[in-house]
Amino acid sequence: MNKQEIIEKLKNIVKPYIKNQEAFENLTETTDFITDLQINSANLVDVILDIEEEFNIIIDNQSMERMLDVKSAMEIIETKLSEK
Amino acid sequence: MIGNDIVDLALAQKESNWNRKGFLDKIFTKNEKLQIFNAEDSEVMVWNLWSRKEAVYKIYNRQTQIRGYFPLQLECFDLEIIDGIIYGKVAIKETVYYTKTEVKPQFINTIAVENIEDFDTIKTLENRNNIQKINKIPSYFENETLGYKPVSISHHGRFEQIISI
Repeated sequence: MNKQEIIEKLKNIVKPYIKNQEAFENLTETTDFITDLQINSANLVDVILDIEEEFNIIIDNQSMERMLDVKSAMEIIETKLSEK
Repeated sequence: MIGNDIVDLALAQKESNWNRKGFLDKIFTKNEKLQIFNAEDSEVMVWNLWSRKEAVYKIYNRQTQIRGYFPLQLECFDLEIIDGIIYGKVAIKETVYYTKTEVKPQFINTIAVENIEDFDTIKTLENRNNIQKINKIPSYFENETLGYKPVSISHHGRFEQIISI
């Protein structure tokens, strides 16, 4: 899976939880899930569970700690996929 | 430092499915999950514990400048109800913070402090007048003392609470 495919999947995952449409449309690697997309912190768990299901990976607690922006999420997904 | 959190229960019900597989495991420790399962109203207990973690995270984040998503590291304990108010403690990495939670039919609200005596001096602000960010932390400019006081703001759905000390 290449970067572009991962980012597209990630966009579909976060879409139902975002509260800032403009930030979503202009999403880049530096986009922050909470401060930019304004995803409710309780919904961040849903994002993480959706990522686990979509990519068939397990996000351990240490990785979850960093799961605050697109860049970190991409890195975590890529790492977990490569470990499979 | 102070922190607060408010949960609009109707909105929380709409936004989150706490029964979803894996949801509780990612957020709550074994002991917290026991409290949820044993509670008369498990859903209310989910948001009660969550709001305590959130309020304490705000203090921790401001003190340490550490930003992250680690709800399992913030553990709620020592829950005690006095005159309808739920008092408790939340620990993260050896540091203990104090929480005061109010559970109402429409919302749950937690205020967290570093020192338990600070509960007596917390005041609620009606609006955002005189509030500005100093070093990324919302602060209230007090006309009487010409000084800045830390502020914590929480907003969810129909409810907003601004507190200062």
